[in-house]
Amino acid sequence: MEHIVLSLTLLMIGMYGLITKRDLLKTLISIELIAAAASMNFVMFSSIVGDQLGQAFFILMLSVDTSMTAIVIALVLVSYRELKVSDAMELHKFKRDRDEK
Amino acid sequence: MFAYDDLFVLVVVVSAFMALHLENATHAAISFAVALTAISALYFDLNAPFAAIFQLVVGAGTIAIFFLASEMFAQKGGKMQSLGSKVAGAILAIGISIPSIVLDIGKIAFVKSNGLSFSSALWESRAIDVIGQGVVILTLAIGAVMVLKKSRKEG
Repeated sequence: MEHIVLSLTLLMIGMYGLITKRDLLKTLISIELIAAAASMNFVMFSSIVGDQLGQAFFILMLSVDTSMTAIVIALVLVSYRELKVSDAMELHKFKRDRDEK
Repeated sequence: MFAYDDLFVLVVVVSAFMALHLENATHAAISFAVALTAISALYFDLNAPFAAIFQLVVGAGTIAIFFLASEMFAQKGGKMQSLGSKVAGAILAIGISIPSIVLDIGKIAFVKSNGLSFSSALWESRAIDVIGQGVVILTLAIGAVMVLKKSRKEG
């Protein structure tokens, strides 16, 4: 059960990244860490109980998580290509300026 | 005694923290790749080989995309992060990893296994989910192509 603490630690690191980092790539890495922390519990409890259903759930979760990452990274790349912005605050500023116009 | 899984836990926490702490996007992507690989090794250690292989394969794809994106961002150029800051981050990360290595919150004894094998768990219990997952991945592929194609047309 010691890996529950690892899962919590990864969750905390991910939350720290979400709160303190404004770079879009770092934000995405933080979300990935939070997803890894959550999915780790499936594998860990599956291993402890000796049941393979947790691994099946893990694979489902991993594919959905990867889908989300691909879409978000496509949006990040587009925003960088169009606006030359990789900062969440700068992106927000662009949106505010456009709304004011 | 210091076991293999403790080493994997240390590597996971330190590399995950450094992925956020390092300012260079390429270095951050490499550090994140190390974290995903160490998580995969941890799954092998937990007797979950299918999860470990899936994590490794999906992690490889994710990291390839992250690496390309980070190369694109790295062209901007910016201030260099000092060595002292990197070392301080690594020491802080080692400190954060200590509870994960030392603490153990005990055993659970309230769940009973239903003795399913991996293939029966996937195809008999969660067959509809697996098909739904295929639809999600197809939608993702179409969505990503649409996002990138639309912006290219506008550009």
